[in-house]
Formats: sequence, structure tokens, C-alpha cells
Amino acid sequence: MTAAPALSMSGISKAFPGVRALDGVDFDCLPGEVHAICGENGAGKSTLMKILGGSYRPDAGEIRLAGANMHFTHPRQAAEAGISIIHQELSLLPHRTVAENIFMGREIARRGILDRAAMRETAAALLYRIGAQIDPQAPVSSLSIAMQQLVEIAKALLLDARILVMDEPTAALDERDSRVLLELVGTLRGEGVSIVYISHRMPEVTAIADRITILKDGRKVWTRPREAAPIGEIVRAMVGRDLEDFYPAPPASPPGPVLLAVKDGANAALRDIAFDVRAGEIVGVAGLEDSGKGALAQALVGDAPFSGGTVALRGRPVALRTPRQATAAGIGYLPGDRKREGLALRQSVRDNALLTLRAMAGLFTRPGHGAFAPRAIDGKLRDMDVRAADFGQEIGTLSGGNQQKAIIVRWLAQASDILVFVEPTRGIDIAAKAAIYRTMRAFADSGRGIVVVSSDMPELIGVADRILVMHQGGISGQLPRGAGEEEVMHLALGLADAPQREARA
Amino acid sequence: MTTDIAKNKPAARGLPVAVLLAGLSIGFFVAVALATGEVAQLGGQGIVGLLQRMVALGLVALGQTFVILVGSIDLSVAALISAVAVLASHVMQGDPAMILPAILLCLGLCLAVGLVNGVLVAYGGINPLIATLGTGLIVQGVLAASFGALQGAVAREFQVLAYGGVLGVPYSILLFAVLSLAAAFVLDRTLFGARVYAVGGNPEGARLAGIRTERVTLSAHVVASLFAGASGLYLAARLQSGTPWIGRDGIYDLESIAVTVIGGTILAGGKGGVAGTLAGVLLFASLDAAFNMLGIDAFLKQVLRGAIVVAAVAIHAVRTKGHVA
Repeated sequence: MTAAPALSMSGISKAFPGVRALDGVDFDCLPGEVHAICGENGAGKSTLMKILGGSYRPDAGEIRLAGANMHFTHPRQAAEAGISIIHQELSLLPHRTVAENIFMGREIARRGILDRAAMRETAAALLYRIGAQIDPQAPVSSLSIAMQQLVEIAKALLLDARILVMDEPTAALDERDSRVLLELVGTLRGEGVSIVYISHRMPEVTAIADRITILKDGRKVWTRPREAAPIGEIVRAMVGRDLEDFYPAPPASPPGPVLLAVKDGANAALRDIAFDVRAGEIVGVAGLEDSGKGALAQALVGDAPFSGGTVALRGRPVALRTPRQATAAGIGYLPGDRKREGLALRQSVRDNALLTLRAMAGLFTRPGHGAFAPRAIDGKLRDMDVRAADFGQEIGTLSGGNQQKAIIVRWLAQASDILVFVEPTRGIDIAAKAAIYRTMRAFADSGRGIVVVSSDMPELIGVADRILVMHQGGISGQLPRGAGEEEVMHLALGLADAPQREARA
Repeated sequence: MTTDIAKNKPAARGLPVAVLLAGLSIGFFVAVALATGEVAQLGGQGIVGLLQRMVALGLVALGQTFVILVGSIDLSVAALISAVAVLASHVMQGDPAMILPAILLCLGLCLAVGLVNGVLVAYGGINPLIATLGTGLIVQGVLAASFGALQGAVAREFQVLAYGGVLGVPYSILLFAVLSLAAAFVLDRTLFGARVYAVGGNPEGARLAGIRTERVTLSAHVVASLFAGASGLYLAARLQSGTPWIGRDGIYDLESIAVTVIGGTILAGGKGGVAGTLAGVLLFASLDAAFNMLGIDAFLKQVLRGAIVVAAVAIHAVRTKGHVA
């Protein structure tokens, strides 16, 4: 390596309350180099890039651009220093034109009056340079996601970015659009731009990257040139960690009859979904961020329902068009975003536990009687070992683990047959995690079924009896208990069909 | 090279809704005039009358368009209109020498109210509905309490604004036309306008692009208050003396929001413009004129206006849904 790095980050550390997001990470990128960063969800990739972009300030470590030390306190400073970050969520104005978007915040103006012609011409030149056939006068909302991505890149180039960070740029793109984008990455590299490329798509990474860095749990595992990093090695480095033994023992008896059966399930985000859940079974659903695993949970609980296919519960077909229908049919939902979707934070633990019962009760049910009586629900909360000074206190004051247990009580009170968990232990400490796993196991052992959607792979492997792996809206494979993380990762990355693709080429 | 696939005319954007709405309004007006035999309404006099109906609401609505575009809203305009009308007549006391001081004082009051609104919303992070409702109530309350001491009438010379004109075109219509063009120019052709759209369309994106979003929001509130002041001055000129209730009785707060939204400016901000708002104001003016010709009772008029507001916004909602999905 003779060229001086355009970017060098050394010893970067960053801690958030309760999490060490980055721990002494070194990273550099040469001019005209594509340097890919790979890692599981939560490995620290996004945090590292937010530090580079000036959104976060590191606790320790330094950033040098072409040798000069930098301290960013605002994203604007990073942008002016030549760093452009293309975020996963687009930051475009849908109702404005392409040219107006490219120049957002950096309009060409003389004495406050816009020079629209100059902006149009510059925008057209930029779009031409990146090979995008887009009319600068077209409203952004009329463009496809891929085209919008190209507009974002043009926006970055307007600032003459020397370092371009692309965070999962192809996540929302199909095969052909991805190829257009990758060609563009190659062109920019040829112009001497340093590109930091974050992606979960392995074939893409090995096709485009000059070097690859693996992050894991906030630490750098290694940095290698592409030739020294076959896909198998990358995957192993991304997942290699110890399984912890706080998972409950697998059930002694084989699963019972089929409780839930889905056939040909499909909607805008899902295709060809077919699987079943047996009594006593915990079925895990794995997949990357954009794989459709969240959409599957939403479809099962009627939040974003299937538009095609059939769902049967205990052999009887059921309609799951709304959450109310799903609840009535016996499917309970424990959302991943507890604070927003799961809890009424300012209401009492008791009210939260009674939420579903009350929602499904008849209009003239007497409150405070029978199952609604404080004594009845308090008993259930105590059985679940929800720890609160008083069940009348606001649930927002409880720990994440106790909140999750209170939500479980909600569905137990409703006597649901199937519980759909999304990220059941996100933001929950180790001890409470173990308790939640035991509760899940006990629920399944009582002859009911669980679907658990999680990004935490060790968790799925530890708790699920069977894992469905999703990729691009479909189920790319099914693994029995005892599968390894590498096998899951292979399916999640869509690598199962890689050999066929090579054969075709 | 091949970027000129679809050569859209630059000004075509946003126009169709406005043109359609204006066309419908005029069509309705003409049809009613013909049906009721009030053909005189279609002559010069009738047209001027129709346009003059637009002025008071139109001026407030222009300002409201700025705040709504930036993603905020202003409920204090009605109280401010009353305050300006009362203050102008009190300061003038019929004396033409006091016209300029009165105008300056009124615009100063508007500037102050706009700054307070803007600071509360942009820097205080207070929900604009609540913040501007609060400032509006305060202005209204102070006005009602002190009205006994604030009697007076505007100078006869000042009333020329409402009743005088050149070549048969009243000054008020000219003023409204000039301010409309200015507002359209600012939104469409200036840096400030571009920032208004950016902040309203994507506040976080605008902030990351380095725009000081708070200042833009604050400025939009000042603009809205100044336009409300212009409307108050016009009403004072027309009515000779202000009362503390002219803003409230004219429902200028809610109607200015209604016409802005009817004109295609979305409440979330970032989309819309002056052309649509003008079309919305024209619709209301045409309805009023037509209802008068038809002799429709005042309460029924209110019902019909309400129905039309809901229908117009529903049509927008359906159109937008189809467009986005």
C-alpha cells in the first residue's frame, strides 16, 4: 500500500447506555478504493458511519482525512470536508423536482434569487456523469426507488465528495437496478472517489470490494483484500461466537398436531409463504433487515394482511384481515417496538395486561368483574413474575423484561393459541432474557405454538425448534433444531442458489 | 444527452389543480348568474365585486400558505386581524397625518406576534396548533378588555384603499394582485422559498443538508402575521372603524386554512403554493356571490361551504393516495 489513505479512522470507540457499540475500531480507505464493511445487525457498522458523518461523536479515537485530523460536531462539517453518506432511508423531498432535490440546502442563488437554469444544467450534467437517464425537472415521487437512489448519489457528488459511504444501497433494488448501481460504483472508483460500501449481499461485496473489513460486536475481526476473503470466510467471521447456555431444554416429546397452516401467502412484501406450526412448537423466523421477516409477522397478526393464499387454524380456514380478526382467531402479537406498538406507557401495568381482554369484550361487560377484576389479573401477573412495586404503577417505569412479561400476560389472559413474537428480547438484559425464553417454552409445552421473528441469531438457534429463513420476501429454506449460524446466514444471504447462478453465467 | 425525454414545462407543476379549481369556480358563478338572470354580475362591475370579495380572505390565506408549506399552521390570524383593525382606527382618529404611523405600528404589532409564534413553534418545540391558538387567545383577550379605550375611526383618505381605484380597478385588488405575485415569486424563485419547501417536505433531511430549519419556520410565521396585518388594514379601511370581533366573525383563521388546503397545499407541508391558494379563495368568493344571487339563507350557506371544503380535501386525498402508492 503506497498511496496515503483518503480516510483513516483509528481506535474509534463509542458507548451507549448499556452497550459498547464500538471498541477501538481501525478503518481506512484509499483514494479510488471500494472498501466493504460486513457484519451482523448490531455489529457497529451504522454507528461507525454515523461517527464518520458527524452525527455521533466518538468517545475515543481519531479521524484523519488525507492525513489531516478532523473533529466533526455537525453533519454539515463532515459534508464540507468531502464526506457524503447515502443513508438507507432516503432524505428526498418527494414533491419537488430532481434538480431541486439535488440542490437542497445548496441552491445556486444570486442575492437570494434562485438561478433555476444553472441548477437545471448542473443537475443534468451530474446525472449524465453517473449515467442516469433522469429528467432534472421530473418530480422525485414519479421516480422508482432505484432512480431515487441515483438522485441521492448525484446529490452527494454535487459536494464533490471524496469519500462516499453507501449504506445498503441495493437493499431496496432488484437484480437489474443493483447492477446499474454497482457499475456506477465502479465508475466513481475510477474517478478516484473512496467508497465505503456496507452490504449484506455477499455476492455483491465480493464482486465490487477491493478490501473487506468484518465487524462483530463492536470490534474489528479482520481487514483483508478481496482475494484473501472468500464468502465462506466472511460468513464465518461475521457469526463466530459462542452459544450461551441459558436457553431452555428442547421439548422431550415430538410436536403435536398442526395448529397453524399457511399456504401460498403473499402480499406486496411477501411471496410464496407456506409453513405450519404444530402444537408445542417454537418456530423461528430468521432473515436480514429487508428479507420480509417483519412483514410475515405483520401478515400473521392482520396488521399488513396477506392479499393471497390461505391461513388455517386447527384445520379451519380463518380470515386475518385486521388485528381484531387475528386476536379473535387466537393469534397474539408481541411487537418488536414495545414502546410504540406494544404498550400504553402512561397507563398502569394492570391496564396494559388487560388491554386485549377489554378490547375483545362486549360493550356491556361489567368492568372490574370476573376476568377483569384487579385480583384476577394481578394473580396472572404474579404467576408470570412481573416485578413491580404495585401493579397500579405506570408500565413505562418497569424494566424491558418486566414490560415484555406483562404483554405476555395480556395474551395468556386472552387464551391465544399462537403467539407471534418479534424481537422478543431486544433491549432486555440477560437474566430477563432467560426468563422470557422459559416462558416461551412453557407456553409451547402447554400445547400451543409460537412464531418468533428475530435478528438475534443465537437466540433463534437456542430457542426455536425449527428455523425458517427468509430472503427477499420468500422463505429460502428451513433448518431443524441444531442448525449452525453459518447455515442460517447462507440462506439469509440467498447463497443457496449461488452455484446455479454461476453455472448459468 | 437523453435527459430531455419528457420536456415538462417548468411552470406546469402544481398548476392543473389551481386551473381546474378556478375554472370550476368561475363556471359555477357564470352558471348561477345566467340561471338567476342577474346578467349584470357578468359585467365589469360584477367581476370587480367578485374579485373584491377575495381580498380580505386572500391576504390572510397567502400568509397561511407560507406557514402550512413549512409544516406549521397559524390560528392566531383572526385575532390579529381584529387587533390591527382596531389599532389602526384608534391611532388614526380620522387624522390623515396619522395614516403612516398607524400602518407602521400595526405592522410592528404583527411582526411581534409573528416572532412570538415563530419562537414558540420553531425554538420552543410547542405544537403550532396550541402555540398559535394561545397567542391568538391572548391577543383577543387583551383586545376585548381594552376596546373601551380604543375607539376611533380611520382617516377618510385611508378608506381610498377600499373604495378608490384607477381605471375602475380598486386599489385593494391591485394590492392583492401585487402581494400575490410577490408571494408566488418568493416561494418559486428565491432561496427562502426553496428552504420553505425543504423544511416542510423533510425537516430532518433539510437539517442534515445544513439548513437552519428553525429560522425558516420562524420567518414563515412572521410572513403569515404580516399578511394578516395587511388584511386587517384593508378591513379597517372598508369598515371605517375596527371592532374586536371582525377577525373572529369572518372566521379568517379556519377559512384561510381551508382555502389553502383546498388549493392543494398539504397540511404536512412541502407541497403546494400560491396559485392553488388563490384558486381556493376564488372558489369561496364565487360561492358567496352565487349564494347571494340565489338568495340562500346564511346558515345554509355555511353548511354548503363546509360540505365543499370536505369534498375538495377528500378529492385531494384520493388523488394523492393513488399517486403515492
